[in-house]
Amino acid sequence: MATLRLDGLKKTYPNGFVALHGLDLTIDDGELLVVVGPSGCGKSTLLRMLAGLEDITEGSLYIGEKRVNELEPVERDIAMVFQNYALYPHMSVAGNMEYALKNRGIPKEERRRKVEETARLIGLQDLLDRRPRQLSGGQRQRVAMGRAIVREPQVFLFDEPLSNLDAKLRVQMRLEIRRLQKRLGVTAVYVTHDQVEAMTLADRLIVMNEGRIEQLGTPMTLYEQPASTFVAGFIGSPAMNFLNANADGDTLTLPCGSQLTSPVDVHGDITLGIRPEHLVPVEESPQALTVQVELVEPLGADTLAYATLAGQTEPLVVRFDGVRRLNEGDRLWLAPDRERLHVFDPDHGHRLTTTETSTTS
Amino acid sequence: MRYRRPGLDITSHTLLILCVIVFFLPVWMAIVAATHTQSSLYTGTAPLWFGSEGLGNFLAVLSDPVSRLGTDATRLLLNSTIMALGIAVGKITIAILAAYAIVFFRFPMRMLCFWAIFITLMLPVEVRIMPTYKVVADLGMLNSYSGLILPLIASATATFLFRQFYLTVPPELLEAARVDGAGPWRFLRDILLPLSKTNIAALFVIMFLYGWNQYLWPLLITTESDYMTVVISLKRMLTSADNLVPWHTVTATTLLAMLPPIIVIVLMQRYFVKGLVDTEK
Repeated sequence: MATLRLDGLKKTYPNGFVALHGLDLTIDDGELLVVVGPSGCGKSTLLRMLAGLEDITEGSLYIGEKRVNELEPVERDIAMVFQNYALYPHMSVAGNMEYALKNRGIPKEERRRKVEETARLIGLQDLLDRRPRQLSGGQRQRVAMGRAIVREPQVFLFDEPLSNLDAKLRVQMRLEIRRLQKRLGVTAVYVTHDQVEAMTLADRLIVMNEGRIEQLGTPMTLYEQPASTFVAGFIGSPAMNFLNANADGDTLTLPCGSQLTSPVDVHGDITLGIRPEHLVPVEESPQALTVQVELVEPLGADTLAYATLAGQTEPLVVRFDGVRRLNEGDRLWLAPDRERLHVFDPDHGHRLTTTETSTTS
Repeated sequence: MRYRRPGLDITSHTLLILCVIVFFLPVWMAIVAATHTQSSLYTGTAPLWFGSEGLGNFLAVLSDPVSRLGTDATRLLLNSTIMALGIAVGKITIAILAAYAIVFFRFPMRMLCFWAIFITLMLPVEVRIMPTYKVVADLGMLNSYSGLILPLIASATATFLFRQFYLTVPPELLEAARVDGAGPWRFLRDILLPLSKTNIAALFVIMFLYGWNQYLWPLLITTESDYMTVVISLKRMLTSADNLVPWHTVTATTLLAMLPPIIVIVLMQRYFVKGLVDTEK
């Protein structure tokens, strides 16, 4: 159990590519921090730097009170779960789990006791003699987890551990990882590109983009107050709708002519963000957005509609209750919730707030 | 895809049986000849059935010094075995270590080393035989096991094969081992060697046969019969200026010389299969 402190952590590859631009971050003891972002955003590099598999170009990394920049992975007392599990194919499940203990010179009896204990914890006790090849994907995933747990490390590192599983198993393992991590109380860093995984697992969440932290916060903070269009578009599924609009004080005028009340006091062109679930169908009115349904995706619990709105190039995604029957070509009137409108700078994509804009206007 | 055509079956079986006969007939004749006395082999017709001696000729060459060689076949077989084993084990050991260094370590001029090794593929013993002989002679290794083994011990082919195999090992495996606290030697011993069991078995067979069948090199550097290999001895037995060729002895020795390679193949084949079944990449 330990806090993890990153102090200006920077990674530059020999070819000059900067993968991480100086990260400052403290991960609390027992916290599960999820790092999410598109591929190439530097999230895996960050994790590998924490693990010690990748050199740190600049800055310092502290595990507990100790600076670990120069330490080998094993000396950092971390455990890592890899995307493809990286189980040793020629060793049994028990062999895989005890390998780290064996290298540490722990006597055989104690090794066996620890392996059996861990196996019981994650439901592998009947599979200890099997080879990885004889296991299903979910079981392999469990062995990879077990291998990490049995060592009782200070920090768990997860590198997209669920992306090789099918959808149903992924949900199940997600819950299990969450439960285990809480129960063991070990600090964990979890890298994923799946925003649902990120939202459900995280105590705190980092959205990364091009080697920088775009936003850090609890999942709900990121959902409710995304700091930029990038975060807004990444968190939440289906993604937030972005509309061009013109703001004049608290009145927003859309190209289609509709007028909405803005939550912030700004002037000029803005990007308006509305989540699909925050568009409410209403009776015909001049204030409402008039849309035409282009495509319907019934998901059971919800129905998604892709609708065209005059003056916008991208179709508007709207989420309805599953009981609502929609047909392609239907005309709808939608009223967005004023409190849940997001206003962004159209050029840089950052969130505009009243305090910020009132000084400029 | 398999075709079922009775006509094709018969043709292919006939063909295969014919080939087996063609290839096996000389072996059969050797087996038969080894059971005859020398005089019964010189009656004008080659016998096709066993003679009066039974296993007598085999026991004779194994225990008594063979004429014109001054040593018995046991010693010859032992020399050949030591040489073949030395070459096979040495080649595999060196190849594993060289490939391990090239694939898993980052050191200056790594690729240069690889290409230097690779280029030696173009230099088999026959090409460099004179300089090699000079070196071995100067080191005083003529008529010794080390002289027989060392010049043949480095293998670019095996290094290359191991390199190709190591490149297919997922890098995460190395990383997992590092996180688990395995240093370079542990990783080699605990992860890489067990995974390359199949390759090692296959190469062992090939290299053992290569070592066993060496002719030119042992011929050059062994002048004493104590270090003569069995392959060389066969040639020696045949070169007789004045006497009749002792065919019964020659065939018996030939058959004995064939045995170890067969044993190696049969034994290692079981390892092949086991390795194939047990490991997974």
